[in-house]
Amino acid sequence: MPEDPPKRSVPERFIASRATLRLDQLMTWLIRAGGLGIIVAVLGIFVFIMAEVIPLFEPARFKQESEAAVSSGRPGATATPITLMGVDEWAQKPFIYRGGAEIALADLSKNGEIETLPVEIPADTVISTAQVDGKQNRVILGTADGRVGSFKVTYTSTAGEGGKGQIVTPSVKVESFEAIGQPGKPLKDVSFGDGGAAKVMAAIQEVDGRTEVHALCIRQKRSLMGAGKPAVVGRFDLTSDLQGHPVRLLASAVGDALLVADDRGMVYYFYFTNGTTKELRQTFQPFADEADPTLSTLSYVFGDVSVVVCGATGKQEVWSLYNQSVTDGSAKGGETVRRYGKIKEFPPLTGAATFYAASQRNKTFLTGRGDFASLRYSTTESVRWEGTLPFTVARAVMDAKAEHILFLDTDGGLHRWKLDDPHPEAGMKAFFGKLWYEGADRPGYVWQSTGGTDDFEPKLSLTPLIIGSLKGTFFALLFAVPIALLAAIYTSCFLPPNIKSIVKPVMEIMASLPSVVLGFLAGLWLAPLIEDKVPSLLLGGLALPLGAMAVGWVFTKLPVTTRSKVRPGSEFWVLLLPVALMTWAAWSLGPWLESWAFTVKDPATGGFIADFRLWWPQIGHSLSASDWSFVRWLGDVFVTDFDQRNSLVVGFMMGFAVIPILFTITEDALSNVPTQIKAASLALGASRWQMVRTVVLPVASAGIFSALMVAFGRAVGETMIVVMATGNTPVMDLNIFSGMRTLSANIAVELPEAAVHSTHYRALFLGAVVLFALTFVLNTFAEILRQRLRERFKFV
Amino acid sequence: MTDPAPTPANAPVVPAKGRAHSLLGEPKVWFCAMGLTLGLLMVIGLLSLIIVEGVSVFWPRQVLELDVKDASGKIQTVAGEIRKEQAKRDVSPDATIHHEWLFFTGNKDVTGSAFRFVDAQAIADQRMPKDIIVAERMEYGDSIFYPVSLKLADGTEIAASEGSFLAKLRAKIAEGNARRDQIHTIEADQIGEINDRVRKLEIERRKAITDDDTKLLAELDAARADVQKEYETLAAKAGELRKQMSADVLNYRLADGTARQQAVGDLLRVEHPNAMSWWEKFGVFLHNGWDFLTGAPREANTEGGIFPAIFGTFVMTLLMSVIVTPLGVIAAIYLREYARQGLLVQMVRISVNNLAGVPSIVFGVFGLGFFVYSVGGSLDRWFFSDVLPTPTFGTGGILWASLTLALLALPVVIVATEEALVAVPRGVREAAMACGASKWQSIQRIVLPSALPGILTGVVLAMARGAGEVAPLMLVGVVKLAPSLPLDFTAPFIHAERKFMHLGFHIYDLGFQSPDSEAAKPMVFATTLLLILLVVAMNVAAISLRNHLRKKYAVSTF
Repeated sequence: MPEDPPKRSVPERFIASRATLRLDQLMTWLIRAGGLGIIVAVLGIFVFIMAEVIPLFEPARFKQESEAAVSSGRPGATATPITLMGVDEWAQKPFIYRGGAEIALADLSKNGEIETLPVEIPADTVISTAQVDGKQNRVILGTADGRVGSFKVTYTSTAGEGGKGQIVTPSVKVESFEAIGQPGKPLKDVSFGDGGAAKVMAAIQEVDGRTEVHALCIRQKRSLMGAGKPAVVGRFDLTSDLQGHPVRLLASAVGDALLVADDRGMVYYFYFTNGTTKELRQTFQPFADEADPTLSTLSYVFGDVSVVVCGATGKQEVWSLYNQSVTDGSAKGGETVRRYGKIKEFPPLTGAATFYAASQRNKTFLTGRGDFASLRYSTTESVRWEGTLPFTVARAVMDAKAEHILFLDTDGGLHRWKLDDPHPEAGMKAFFGKLWYEGADRPGYVWQSTGGTDDFEPKLSLTPLIIGSLKGTFFALLFAVPIALLAAIYTSCFLPPNIKSIVKPVMEIMASLPSVVLGFLAGLWLAPLIEDKVPSLLLGGLALPLGAMAVGWVFTKLPVTTRSKVRPGSEFWVLLLPVALMTWAAWSLGPWLESWAFTVKDPATGGFIADFRLWWPQIGHSLSASDWSFVRWLGDVFVTDFDQRNSLVVGFMMGFAVIPILFTITEDALSNVPTQIKAASLALGASRWQMVRTVVLPVASAGIFSALMVAFGRAVGETMIVVMATGNTPVMDLNIFSGMRTLSANIAVELPEAAVHSTHYRALFLGAVVLFALTFVLNTFAEILRQRLRERFKFV
Repeated sequence: MTDPAPTPANAPVVPAKGRAHSLLGEPKVWFCAMGLTLGLLMVIGLLSLIIVEGVSVFWPRQVLELDVKDASGKIQTVAGEIRKEQAKRDVSPDATIHHEWLFFTGNKDVTGSAFRFVDAQAIADQRMPKDIIVAERMEYGDSIFYPVSLKLADGTEIAASEGSFLAKLRAKIAEGNARRDQIHTIEADQIGEINDRVRKLEIERRKAITDDDTKLLAELDAARADVQKEYETLAAKAGELRKQMSADVLNYRLADGTARQQAVGDLLRVEHPNAMSWWEKFGVFLHNGWDFLTGAPREANTEGGIFPAIFGTFVMTLLMSVIVTPLGVIAAIYLREYARQGLLVQMVRISVNNLAGVPSIVFGVFGLGFFVYSVGGSLDRWFFSDVLPTPTFGTGGILWASLTLALLALPVVIVATEEALVAVPRGVREAAMACGASKWQSIQRIVLPSALPGILTGVVLAMARGAGEVAPLMLVGVVKLAPSLPLDFTAPFIHAERKFMHLGFHIYDLGFQSPDSEAAKPMVFATTLLLILLVVAMNVAAISLRNHLRKKYAVSTF
């Protein structure tokens, strides 16, 4: 039956089933989401690492937490009013001492409720002066009758109700009083340095209108039976050593030294050997150039090696003890003595500092004037926070955790401020700049992340690590680039295709050698093997290229009948024997070269010893002693020590890791040069070398350059070889015979031990960021170059 | 490709008349050839060094007996194997060069060190005694000695001169080895399982104490007592077996005449290296190799086998490829088939490509910070809070290591898959579409199957990279000695949180963290050989797969 043809031109069977369409939609959605998600996640690696690093560069956060009006106890009967403050670890119950026989404790958890505790000082004692030592919450007392004493405020804590917070219970313990100086005369300032077995006490005393300085040393003998009784071993009158009137004292926490400042701004550094003899080690005047050279602050920062001095004009400096050679013609001339020297300078305040508080945890200190406060970090010479407070500060104190700062204002108000500064020791200057660390005799770039003591100053300069990475890379490339480029040129331009198809995969397989294997061979096999064979290597490095050229030259002189037996492209087979011979010759002639050129005089026998390992550092010494600064610089940077696991070994083995990559990419670049232009060059009469030099190399130069960058990236990030084949010492030199520590090795060695989210941990992440950025940028640049090159010759 | 153009390599060198060849740069060609020669020599030299050193570890060496004169002229007899011969130069003005041997003397329990240097000039006499024995022991490494007699538990004594001596000794050693396996089964498996139960009970007990549930507490204590009893029975059984291990005693004498004895239970194997034929040695070689592959490490990893490291590497690589394959393939399909090709995608492609060049340690840093501390720490807080502060997932483990390496290898897979997808001819896709297939259908049925070998190449390359990588693993969970394998027969069978051993890390640890690196050297070389064989085999597979594919696609263009 003829029917009307269907109106629709598409029959049913051409319509896809709904299930198919749904599946298609679902998969489209899945792959879109999945693919995007994966790519974002992979690129998120960088974001995550950056997020770990960013807190390092954040400034301190400092804000008020609570305040309370405090009526702080009865003042004592002193001529000048005393107000001292100390605080517990949790900044809950600060104590205020005003010179009487009691301390007032303000409970900040109860809105400043005051409780008083008696201080049981002997009866009829009149306090004339007092100082507080924040480290042990010890108040040092000076009496009107010439005695020095102290009491300690100790806090114990128990967990609060329901495990929340602490209940802090203070107690006061009065320690013994010692007579000092002239009996019966009032003390004007006191200081107490408690180093456990050695203690030093000092006081400024007013004797008939004159001011005198007296010190006494206490030693406590320790034996198997336990600690003995402390005894005074030396009493000293220091007045005659001073040129002005003493105004300020600072006893060292080790208990063996004393700093005295006089009214002319001079600081006298006394050292008490064994507590029995005194020695004036040094006098210095920090602000000698100022109109008013007097000091307003002379206080230690954490660790008691550096003192912060602030002048009457507001200038602020840090002076630190380090070894200096004495040149002032005194008895100790020529020797090195630990003395104070200026190592830091901070932005000045507007005038003399009126308050000072040092952290017990790091090198942070707070200083300021009136209502202006500045939080500074000594090591990095940086201001962490600065601002005007809504009150005028009379006293400031920092708790032991460096989390809170308490201010007592001039109106008797107590303010608790929260300090949130987890990484004060970080900053661009700390990571990349030159810093003068405590104890060092000059500023330097140092990486030393952990130390033995609590007051250790972490040194987190990435510069020596970056230098180390570049050094290893440089020597690796120095070795790898010639071999890889030459091999690639030969393979690409001169080798018959059938041999090329074998040679290339062989070199590629070398790329897959795990670096741990290369590292092991470098450290345990190669390093001991070539340790005493350096002259042989020098010979080999010279003989091989020259020898190969010579073989080539001799070959061209042969009659054509002989030459025709060597097919073009098989030169490398022919060279096997000469190369092996030259290597063997260089290896065995090395000792001969050594005995001829690298000898050192043996001081014991006067004879000459042929040993490159001794010769090299000796050359370094003689260069460093040179009169020309350029030669000295050469000596310091390139010729220092000789280590067994040195850059030569690393360079050689890292070369193994780099050569295959460099070879493969260069070979690709060279092979991508269009055959037409090569053929044209040959047709115009160029020899095969001329063709390579004038046509292939210029055309492929961008590709070769990009190969170099990729190889650089590979060498910079290489980890296991450097971990295993260098001594992992962070050094700043470029000496080929010393080791180094690279960024990557540093991460591998230290990250497993770093505490999570500590500055050290984040600094290591910063190292990873540097590595990541360096390689990523280089590789991207190389990739873009390669693509441009490909575009350029697409249509040739 | 049309017929091959004459390559420059085949072009003959024709100098112009009267001009020297050297002016045409021939010596420079030779100079380039030297680069290739050196490069090939280095590769071949390195590989042969590893192969020779790695294989010779298992080959029984000849034992030399030397009479060595010491400084006072007294003669001392030592027996051992020559491990290295080197020229030593005196640090003195005349710088005389003399040869010395690094001599493996074994008997570390007697001399304190298993090695000594022997000056070649000081050797008065040397011989190769047939009856000297090299014995592998549980402790103190190998011993080299002359047997004297075997004193059995029942009091009988068999002198070394009797014909049945060696057979009897070997039988006793075999007995001991069987007994050792038994002890291991009891102590590691059965007692380990009990420990597991005790730990679970302890956690429940802690919970019961905080809940103040006295009834449950009593039940738990009873259960605990039962377990304790079970443990004591097993421990007693193991103790009994241990006692039997020291029942038989071997009397022997060292080369210098010192008489010593040793419990037969501490011996693993005895050989007569000087009396063996080549075939016998080959048998020992195979046996040693097998032990190395299947045994557990002993003596701070310097002796025994490396089975846990092989297994750890295997599981980790497998886990990694299971993770990386779908991720890489999906990302590549998206980039190539779904995303709109433009500058942005091109940039993404370059970035992903370049991630392959980012140092592996950076991935390790990310793995530690993200997987271990962030993700692992959160998992611990949510699901394993009852065992805190002991971390479960908040510390390195095989799961985190696999994930980290998967990220590391992801660019390799993405790039390889993209390449494979591009290589699928356009005509094939268009044909599929023309037949009415949807986009997904054409990808699923046409594109993916023909790209599969290319994808496989990428996965194999990724696995090779993962298997050889060590630096990131050091941060995310590899250890020198893992107490248990990441896969075993106790529930839940796959222990993703466990730490594991790895061949590459084993090399690092043996070579650089072991107290006696000279003694560890053979093990390192053997491990190195194994790792290299593994990695090279994977790479060769991938490369040949790739070449095969290239040929296939070369003819299938439309």
